[in-house]
Amino acid sequence: MGDFFNSLLYPIELLVAWIMYGFHQAFTTIGLDPASGLAWGLSIIGLVIVMRAAMIPLFVKQINASRKMQMIQPELQKIQKKYKGKTDPESRQAMTQETMALYRQEGTNPFSSCLPILVQSPFFFGLFRVLNGLQGISEGTKDPIGPITKAVASQAESATLFGAQLSDKFIGAETTTTKIVTILLIVLMSATTFTTQRQLMTKNMPASALDNPFAKQQKLIMYVMPVVFAVSGVNFPIGVLLYWFTTNVWSMTQQFYVIRRMPAPGSAAEKALHERLAKRGKPIPGEAERKAREAAEAEEAAERTRQRVQPKGKKRAKKSGPGSTPAKAKQTDN
Amino acid sequence: MSVGQVAAKPLVWLVRAYQLVLSPMRPATCRYYPSCSAYAVTALTRYGLLRGTWLTIRRLGRCNPWSPGGVDHVPALPGHPDDADLVARHIPHETTT
Repeated sequence: MGDFFNSLLYPIELLVAWIMYGFHQAFTTIGLDPASGLAWGLSIIGLVIVMRAAMIPLFVKQINASRKMQMIQPELQKIQKKYKGKTDPESRQAMTQETMALYRQEGTNPFSSCLPILVQSPFFFGLFRVLNGLQGISEGTKDPIGPITKAVASQAESATLFGAQLSDKFIGAETTTTKIVTILLIVLMSATTFTTQRQLMTKNMPASALDNPFAKQQKLIMYVMPVVFAVSGVNFPIGVLLYWFTTNVWSMTQQFYVIRRMPAPGSAAEKALHERLAKRGKPIPGEAERKAREAAEAEEAAERTRQRVQPKGKKRAKKSGPGSTPAKAKQTDN
Repeated sequence: MSVGQVAAKPLVWLVRAYQLVLSPMRPATCRYYPSCSAYAVTALTRYGLLRGTWLTIRRLGRCNPWSPGGVDHVPALPGHPDDADLVARHIPHETTT
């Protein structure tokens, strides 16, 4: 099983090694000290940027989907109204199923799909193994990975970031500096994940979506997460922590952009956007449609009240005279 | 319980661990109902290690940015009612979110 995973991961490790080495070469060419932690640290950040940039098309696709979400709001609200106040698991499941069926029927889907994360995780493992293997490669106990030869490995391994080596972990750290740098990175990592999650929950969710047991569970987990990071983070080399932190910053910025420009319907962020647009005197997207819909609904309601008026014979109508038109029918003129 | 179903148990625990620990840390991503992990749990418990894994791999392949997503349940065992039906009629069943 171990061998199977090794051979499965090797091509990815190789790719990770080449991207990192390529960035390192580039940074050295523009004048950074090849043995510095800055050059190697920036190479890790470069790897993140390459990976996340490769996924921008997916991000754009999601933005387009969220635009289309605005158009199916009436149908979505119908489903939400139907299940309003029903919090038993069977109702929630039925509601999710109906919502998903609607997405498919309308040809839009706000979710990004599971494949990207599955594609990303081997790269994370690949990086973990490259950084974890640096010491072994520099000592000759491990085979070199592509461009990361024994010499390159020992240079990268001894590169220091604020005095801590990139391959150092909190567990087994020899210097206080290493401990401080790892703790700092773990705190930053937890803070970015927490902020991203909190931003999503407090700003980009309609109030109706927040008032159910799942949202409450989600909220609890949001607070437990930093503890999980602290426990697992102490086992990761500084390079991996740096990678993780950079990815988090990217996700946070991306989400900030989406929430600001294309907030979820009915959320606090949408209200804020509409207020901003109103202040600048710009049209509010979807407002015209909403007004038209409301007008159509009012018309429909009026139609119903009109039908309720009993038909009158010519004689009776004449008798009642002008001014006695039923009050309800008058409302329809508005 | 068949041999295949017993053999699938460790994998089911692994997916459950993912659902409990990793999944809550990330935003919702799945384009389907039930989600890929819930599908995996049902597929593995219903069809055992080999067919369950195969069904899960195929579902993960389907859950890509170009697929429309929607409702996609694990095939029902012969003679058993369809999961979509049970969910629509609010009948408790093994599928989780």
